[in-house]
Amino acid sequence: MLTTKLFLGFGVFLLGCFLFEFPFSTDNYIDLNAETPVVSKIQSPGKEIYADFCIQCHGANGKGDAKNFPPLASSDWLTTKRTQSIAAVKFGQSGEIFVNKIKYNSSMPAMGLSNQEVADVMNYIMTSWGNKQTKIVTEKEVAAIKK
Amino acid sequence: MKKITLVSLSIIAFLSFSCEAQVKPNDIVIKDEVKNYTLETVATDIAIPWGMTWLPDGTMLVTEKSGVLYHIKNGSKTEIKNVPKVYSRGQGGLLDIILHPDYAKNGWIYITYASEEGEGTGGNTKLIRAKLVDGSLTQIESLYKATPNTTKGQHFGSRIVFDNDGYLYFSVGDRGEHFVNPQDIKRDGGKIYRLNDDGSIPKDNPFVGLAGAKEAIYTYGNRNPQGMAKNPVTGAIWTHEHGPQGGDEINIIKKGVNYGWPVVTYGINYIGTIISEETEKPGIENPIYYWTPSIAPSGMTFVTSDKYPEWNGHLLLGSLKFEYLELVKLKGNEVIGRQKISTDIGRVRNVAQGPDGYIYMGIDGKGIVKIIPN
Repeated sequence: MLTTKLFLGFGVFLLGCFLFEFPFSTDNYIDLNAETPVVSKIQSPGKEIYADFCIQCHGANGKGDAKNFPPLASSDWLTTKRTQSIAAVKFGQSGEIFVNKIKYNSSMPAMGLSNQEVADVMNYIMTSWGNKQTKIVTEKEVAAIKK
Repeated sequence: MKKITLVSLSIIAFLSFSCEAQVKPNDIVIKDEVKNYTLETVATDIAIPWGMTWLPDGTMLVTEKSGVLYHIKNGSKTEIKNVPKVYSRGQGGLLDIILHPDYAKNGWIYITYASEEGEGTGGNTKLIRAKLVDGSLTQIESLYKATPNTTKGQHFGSRIVFDNDGYLYFSVGDRGEHFVNPQDIKRDGGKIYRLNDDGSIPKDNPFVGLAGAKEAIYTYGNRNPQGMAKNPVTGAIWTHEHGPQGGDEINIIKKGVNYGWPVVTYGINYIGTIISEETEKPGIENPIYYWTPSIAPSGMTFVTSDKYPEWNGHLLLGSLKFEYLELVKLKGNEVIGRQKISTDIGRVRNVAQGPDGYIYMGIDGKGIVKIIPN
């Protein structure tokens, strides 16, 4: 009887430990792009904008948090909804959306970026973390997108 | 039988405690909420309800970050006119709003916002005061403008609070330059400031007379304080600030003190790199509490209302990241418990106790809700 109880207890402990050590947000802590030391000059303007405006929620690896912040890495929304994606960065995004079949219903405010900055950050996002967008976003394309 | 259960339970408890200790020592686990209230909508459709306060007639003033100041009366919103143009970029925009403690006599309203005023491209945090006449801001006076302007999107601060002696405190975050601003008292950013109500600098501010110093500075080494409140028992000003992924802190503001950012921190950079190996150092004040991982705290109020017997005497703050209101239970200046309230409500931008004794929350994308106890 005692053995059973202890066994059960140990099981609960292991489960607890597992949850504590691997919370869902752990992903945000892993730097997949480890070659970037903190003092290095950031090369692409889009990367700098990403680090300034996007990284807090979408993470260094573009994975989001699978709850409130959708992923940008391997995101079907990004590949199939090009115009909406640019509009989301330009004007903000709120309401229900589905990304890789997961529902997100948070809100992202407009960041106040210029059209050129929107283009730069879109190009960075669309070519990072395994994303392979070939058609470059231009300032003109951003400018043409209305609310 | 009972004894066996007890023994195994205490072993579980002991083991789980030591296991948790690997994440953050001496942490206080947040308890799930016991829901004994309902939520009443006060105002809807506000993207980011950053600041809120009440006029003597019980109606509300709410700032929306993009630059709109709403007057809320019986559930309907009216836009206040002549609000200064704000620099709406990243975390910047129209920020906090409070009334002078003697508002009934002098009519002064204090507002912080991101402003492009002055030299250079970009913006920085500005503090003004103004009067509200016929639905319009008038007699606008500039009290402080942080420099330099920058196009960085981060860390504007900027809560405003008055203490019992009539001094005004407000915060400016590090503006995305953590190795440049917070430890340098000759620069703005990463600071808590103290001013007289007319914007003049109190003669006994800690850095008055120091060559080159920004004399309005009251504390330094702060990262991005977006919660500030007066402790109703001690009269001290309490703040919380965002850490980088981890190391959000609660601090009690003391004259001339260095709160350590980025020399010491419990947090790490967003790209996973270390900012500082150290969490403590002589001459640097430790927080009274810190969170790892970050909850992204915003808004802060002490509960003094008898409408919430279990919350009275404790601290409430919003979590933007985990989308709940957190009750931080206090014993004097010590944190002894944590509890979730309004789980999954949305990004809690602000929390305040109204003059009617009820707790109000500002929720991103929603608006203002009021907590009615059962």
